[in-house]
Amino acid sequence: MRLEPRAQHRVLTALRLRSGQAALVFVCSVLCLAGCDRTDPADAVRVSWTLDPSPPRAGTPIVARLTLRDAAQQPLTGVHLRLEGLMSHPGMASVSAAVVERGNGEYEAPLQFTMAGDWILLVTGELPGGEQIKKQIEIAGVRPAP
Amino acid sequence: MDILRAPVVGSFLRWRYARPAVQLVLLLVSLAVVLHGLFGPQLAPRNLATVLTSIHWRGFLVIAIVAVGNLFCTACPMVLARDVGRKFFHPALRWPRRLRGKWLGLALLVAVLFSYELFDLWSQPRATALLVLGYFGVAFVIDTVFAGASFCKHLCPIGQFNFVASTMSPAELRIVDRETCRSCKTSDCIKGHYGPAEAGHYEQKQRGCELGLFLPMKVGNLDCTLCLDCVHACPHDNIALTTRIPGEELLERGRRSGLGRLMLRPDLAALAIVFTFAALVSAFAMTTPAYAVEQRIAASIGARSEGPVLAVIFIVGLFVAPAVLLGAAGLVTRGLTPSATSLRATVLSYAYALIPIGLGIWVAHYGFHLLTGALTIVPVVQSAVVDAFGRALLGGPAWGWVGFQPGAVFPMQLGCVVLGAAGSLGMVHAVSQRDQPSRPLLVSVPWLAVVLVIATVALWILTQPMEMRAVSFPG
Repeated sequence: MRLEPRAQHRVLTALRLRSGQAALVFVCSVLCLAGCDRTDPADAVRVSWTLDPSPPRAGTPIVARLTLRDAAQQPLTGVHLRLEGLMSHPGMASVSAAVVERGNGEYEAPLQFTMAGDWILLVTGELPGGEQIKKQIEIAGVRPAP
Repeated sequence: MDILRAPVVGSFLRWRYARPAVQLVLLLVSLAVVLHGLFGPQLAPRNLATVLTSIHWRGFLVIAIVAVGNLFCTACPMVLARDVGRKFFHPALRWPRRLRGKWLGLALLVAVLFSYELFDLWSQPRATALLVLGYFGVAFVIDTVFAGASFCKHLCPIGQFNFVASTMSPAELRIVDRETCRSCKTSDCIKGHYGPAEAGHYEQKQRGCELGLFLPMKVGNLDCTLCLDCVHACPHDNIALTTRIPGEELLERGRRSGLGRLMLRPDLAALAIVFTFAALVSAFAMTTPAYAVEQRIAASIGARSEGPVLAVIFIVGLFVAPAVLLGAAGLVTRGLTPSATSLRATVLSYAYALIPIGLGIWVAHYGFHLLTGALTIVPVVQSAVVDAFGRALLGGPAWGWVGFQPGAVFPMQLGCVVLGAAGSLGMVHAVSQRDQPSRPLLVSVPWLAVVLVIATVALWILTQPMEMRAVSFPG
């Protein structure tokens, strides 16, 4: 089928508008979706933490103590936890630690920050029922090595 | 040596679609950055948006400039997006005369550097993705409203950074034979090449330089995006990408196309000065002493947020310190010279000599992040693939892959600063020889001192313990 020039022009204009609108819709959708949040199954798990010594210093061994409670404030035992320390700045080496259960919902991990600054402790693990948990703990201002 | 006539590389560069091809690659990378930044894990070391921009893009950008030239402007995906946009929206306006020059671009460069520190953009994948989208949007709107490469020439803060840095690049686009240009009647290198279209009309088949650089009068790399449009447009095949002495263009006093005389461009000199001192401020911001300085400033001005404290650091670092240092050096130079050149003219002459040390510091800083974190891209890509497809198609993330130990990179950082300082010392002497041939060494002394002060501060910064912060403010 061959279109007349004016019809061709109308079709092309419509296509151009539609592709422009589609691009606009795409960008808006991307922005809207970015604002959406998902329910985290680990929300029912409360993680509290302390560092010893506090504030921590780079290059000095510390102990991270984690306490896990469920929604009813009951201690969570038998959780297989992993702990990883990441710098807030990308491109830096992470540190990981073996987590040992001390009972009554308390867990300990020896750790050593390699650089001063802000760190994020990434706590991941598996509840006895098989549910995965993932928590981020922000450690602001690890002091430089003495 | 003409790189355009080298085997393989030359053939690729002369291919009409070489630029769109590399732009397309970076466009896809940008898309991945945006998508992972918006939908991926909001953990900076685990997200493509923050890893690729803060570690790889910045590092490769400065290394490419030092090794070849302004390759990242060549491959700029925003220009590809606006080229597509211009098929639908034809820009009808010219960039306002009052807004021409580098002041606006300089202000935006300072704003970007300030925002990067204030909002800790390296730690925020979603904000980084939105910034990339915003950057694309602004470039698109500006260049579909205003003709030519208005965004690149007058606004783009990254472009202004690249233009200044690429004065130290070892390659440059220039004409091969001056006589050929003299006999040329069409000036396609700047006007573009036109050919017959439908209904007896003519249309542009190949654009000329959109940044207003007329090749026979072009000097150096300032304002050159290395887009190769002039190469494709020249009907006489009279343009070469030649090797040259880095920085030599800064000694040229004559009028240059698209820019005029450097000595009459305070905006360009200011850009060179900010480029140099911003390198110090940016590197300093991630050290332990910066933390202590922030605490003191916060206490003395009663600041409870980081904005005013950073503003003080930026004002002192980018404006007060250069004004004092360069002003003092200029006054001493004037006292030593028999001819009565103004303080402004003296400072303008020597300001460009700071670019080598500035670039050396930038390479030391960005090169550090690149070398110490080069391999982090591997597990992040693997993780992004898992996020996108739900399966480890590239294997499980190898989070142990990082890069060089910081200590191993330190000698390279020292080398960058020392080489940059050596370049600036040489430039200072060359400027003195040009302007004061009777006593070049004596006149150079205050400016050699300025370079040595900058180099000493840079070396001191590099020896400080790093303290990377993003969530805490000491006030």
